[in-house]
Amino acid sequence: MSQNQIAIINSRAPFSSSHAKDALDIALLFGSYEQNVSLFFLGDGVFQLTEQQLPELISQKDFIKTFSALPFYDIENIYVSSECLAERNLSHSIAVADVKVVVRENFANALSNCNQSFHF
Amino acid sequence: MNTDIEDKNKVAFVVTTPPNYNLTTTAINLIKEAVNNSYHVLGVFFYQQGVLNASKALSIPSDEFQTISQWLSIKNEFKVPLYLCATAAEKHGLLSDEAESLSGQLIYSEFDLTGLGSLVELSSEADKVIQL
Repeated sequence: MSQNQIAIINSRAPFSSSHAKDALDIALLFGSYEQNVSLFFLGDGVFQLTEQQLPELISQKDFIKTFSALPFYDIENIYVSSECLAERNLSHSIAVADVKVVVRENFANALSNCNQSFHF
Repeated sequence: MNTDIEDKNKVAFVVTTPPNYNLTTTAINLIKEAVNNSYHVLGVFFYQQGVLNASKALSIPSDEFQTISQWLSIKNEFKVPLYLCATAAEKHGLLSDEAESLSGQLIYSEFDLTGLGSLVELSSEADKVIQL
């Protein structure tokens, strides 16, 4: 298998649709096949990483916990747009360890290093 | 003839939209154009609501775009494999009983039931992956 650089782009909030969970499933699958996967969070996608979420209150499964398993799949490049966090007043609310909070330009550069992307 | 050029033209498609979305129509048109222009279309992977494109239970009014018969023609005439994510199919009511689905009562036999692993394979083989 050739080694692609795969980007999984998350731009939707976690629990109003299944996009976030579907994206995570794909990320873990690519990770388990030892593909190079990077995750990108922008727009309302940054809500996926925020702390103290209680999805069970709205009858949703807490798949956010699975983010802590990403290092076991060698998924270590997780980029979050600092502007998108600031716009939502979430700059100090990231719950997932070792994410890279980067400004738009660095976000774009990291994304341009990938040659395939999936958008959810 | 010139395999170098052919090798650079391997594309895979990912369809995440249901039959009544215009993005699905665009995907169909793009796939046919790609085949007609000597691209090697490795396959189409159906994920999320895209799996509904395989449903035998859907009927589209005769004066609207016939998404489903277009997919069947992409498989039968354009010889492009159609891969259906089994987990997503299950979530969308197409796989309540695997034997039932496999016997072709719920989904068209033109679609192959697979897992996300097929997407990884398509992605590694393809030069470009297109998701609309």
